[in-house]
Amino acid sequence: METQSNSAGGENARNESGLSTEAVLNSLKLIFAGAPLSEVLTIIARLVEAQRKGMLCAIWLLDKDGSHFRCAAAPSLPAAYIAAAGGLTVGPRGASCGTAVYRRETVYVSDILTDSLWDDYRHLALPHGLRACWSRPLLSSGGAILGTFALYYREVCHPRTSDVQLIENVSHIVGIAIERHMKEEALRRSEARKAAILDSALDCIVTIDHEGCITEFNLAAERTFGYSRDQVLGKRLADILVPPSLQDKHRRGLERYLATGESRVLGRHVEMTAVRADGQEIPVEIAITRILLDGPPSFTGYLRDITQRKQAEEKLRRSEAFLAEAQHLSSTGSFSWRVATEDITWSAELSRIFDLDAPLTLARIRTRVHPEDLHVFDGAVDWARATGNDFACDYRLLMPDRAIKHVRVVARATRDQNDQMEYIAAVHDVTQSRLSEEALDKARMELARVARVMSLGTLTASIAHEVNQPLSGIVTNANTCLRMLAADPPNVEGARETARRTIRDGNRASEVIARLRSLFSNKSTAMESVDLNDATREVIALSLSQLQRNRVIFRTELAEDLPTVKGDRVQLQQVVLNLLRNASDAMSAVDDRPRQLLIRTERDDGHRLRLSVQDTGAGFDPRTVDRLFDTFYTTKQDGMGIGLAVSRSIIERHRGRLWATLNDGPGATVSFSIPLDPDSVSDDHSVGGIRTAAAANAPQVMRNA
Amino acid sequence: MSLTRFLVSVVDDDESVRESLPDLLKEFGFAVQAFSSAEEFLASDYVDQTNCLILDIAMPGMTGPDLQRELRFRRKEIRVVFITAHRDESVRPRMLELGGVECLLKPFSDTALLNAVNDALGIH
Repeated sequence: METQSNSAGGENARNESGLSTEAVLNSLKLIFAGAPLSEVLTIIARLVEAQRKGMLCAIWLLDKDGSHFRCAAAPSLPAAYIAAAGGLTVGPRGASCGTAVYRRETVYVSDILTDSLWDDYRHLALPHGLRACWSRPLLSSGGAILGTFALYYREVCHPRTSDVQLIENVSHIVGIAIERHMKEEALRRSEARKAAILDSALDCIVTIDHEGCITEFNLAAERTFGYSRDQVLGKRLADILVPPSLQDKHRRGLERYLATGESRVLGRHVEMTAVRADGQEIPVEIAITRILLDGPPSFTGYLRDITQRKQAEEKLRRSEAFLAEAQHLSSTGSFSWRVATEDITWSAELSRIFDLDAPLTLARIRTRVHPEDLHVFDGAVDWARATGNDFACDYRLLMPDRAIKHVRVVARATRDQNDQMEYIAAVHDVTQSRLSEEALDKARMELARVARVMSLGTLTASIAHEVNQPLSGIVTNANTCLRMLAADPPNVEGARETARRTIRDGNRASEVIARLRSLFSNKSTAMESVDLNDATREVIALSLSQLQRNRVIFRTELAEDLPTVKGDRVQLQQVVLNLLRNASDAMSAVDDRPRQLLIRTERDDGHRLRLSVQDTGAGFDPRTVDRLFDTFYTTKQDGMGIGLAVSRSIIERHRGRLWATLNDGPGATVSFSIPLDPDSVSDDHSVGGIRTAAAANAPQVMRNA
Repeated sequence: MSLTRFLVSVVDDDESVRESLPDLLKEFGFAVQAFSSAEEFLASDYVDQTNCLILDIAMPGMTGPDLQRELRFRRKEIRVVFITAHRDESVRPRMLELGGVECLLKPFSDTALLNAVNDALGIH
């Protein structure tokens, strides 16, 4: 191979081994002027063809697949051949071009007719009168094959030294042209991509050079600040977006960075104020990065208008402040509990109530629960986990200073965005109201007890009085009688008279007893249509506070569509109230299990309704079941033993029956069953009969309930 | 004893007491007058003649203690034996405090009555 110097023969000089300097310069000019590649290559091809008579020049570009060719310039080749050459592939016998690429070296085929490299392609070339073909691979600066530079002749032709030189020189220029074109193409694509990214970015993107002048201003920035890109490019950022009050600071910051490399904003998210084209100042969040390029530094700023966020934050802050204040004022804390993950989010007031620092967990909250109320707490948690239903419960807290707090928890089940079970709950510190309630309740109970004892005492006294009067007469008469008989002589007539009065007073005493009996027995009942569920709900409403105070977990199962019964509403309510109180009282000493009370209404056999109250209390001794309903029989220390007896007499007045059974688990169930219409009950099932049946049946059915 | 002829008046709203007590008191030898109410006794001619008053506590209208107060107000010094059918232990001390000689809870025995009346009359 000859050296490069041989190709340079002087200005405008034709050189046997290359192009004229002028031709080279012209083509380079075109290349650097950014003319389309095909145009540049066609001109080069024509220049080359002008060097040799009968020579046809073609520049083939290798497809991306690396095995086929695409024509970039071939001003003189027959179009039909250009089309046919598309079938040529890279390989050891790939005609001239395919082999040149394969071997990565220049291939000279002097006679297509005889050269075996053309065995597969000869039929493409010969019909177009092509007989010789020299091809040199075009290499990029990195060594990648870009295509081939090929020279064709219509006759058998062997290369001379000058041909070899020409091919080498021209290939060099063509390679430069193609590579440059490809780089420009890549750059254009990257620019387009960048532009697309910039313009579709949600944030404002502004770049500045080291002098603080704007070099990029994207669509979002245009929208946010009200300037068009063209208006601001080249302007100083400080003059455009920085409020006057901050301009000095901005300049000093930029200068300091340029001088010392220190920055207070670089690489951080900073909130500051920016100014819009209309002069309005807006809060922005800004992140500035230095663009890593050689030369003086330039910077990209990402800005986000946070006006709305600021407003929302302020609103949120205010509403949180309101909420916190309201929670404090009302002694109500709140929390959310994600059941699956045990995550608990809580309000400040909640941690104040429990006197617990973050983080709150169920386990930590549980440590504050009064030991006697742990079953309530655990019961509620288990219930929530098992059912996913709303719940409410009251329990006490035992604080580290031994103080006792009363809290009421009301929790509502919801589902979060991920459809996970989450409870939102309010915890109300009801200590104050509970204490006053308890004081009030104590006073009320004391009053009720006194009233009850008083009234019973009064009753007893009046009974005693009524009976003592005739007794007094009887004793006095009998004494008189004895004295008259003991006299000498005996006063028989007087004795007879006093004996008669004794008998009369005896009768009077028995009349008193009879009168008392009638006083307490069957009063006429006010029969009306009673909705048993309604009546029961009223009683529940009346008893609710007492039940809650006794920390009874309360449940109802009131059957729907119950028919009304004919009865005395108030009396039936007295019975229900009695059963509720008894059940609640029976559980007052229960601390090792939940105090659960279930009140249920349902249809009973034979046109009857049944109401039962089930508790988890102490139950009763089966041996004394037949005494349960006796007057004055009580298992309660402070009880009078009247409630169940009165209840039974009311129920029997409704021609129903009242009975008690022991539960399979702890506690007892007391039920009554009454006919829809007492008048429809035949005398066979009258009061006495049912009472007997109830007494006889009770022990047998005890364990069935 | 029968010669003394002390007058014992009985005031009680209960008829059987009014019938039975006088007979017993007569057996003891006293003269007896029975009244069904305090008002009836006050309106009678026997107030000044009565030596001992057997007085029921609870009566409609004027009660036993009311009558006692009224008598004291009128400066009639009559010794009173209260009787009552209310068997309340707290009644007796209160009645003795009011100046009653005795307070008998019905039904009471003949000897208890006699002792009380004798005490009232100062007979030993």
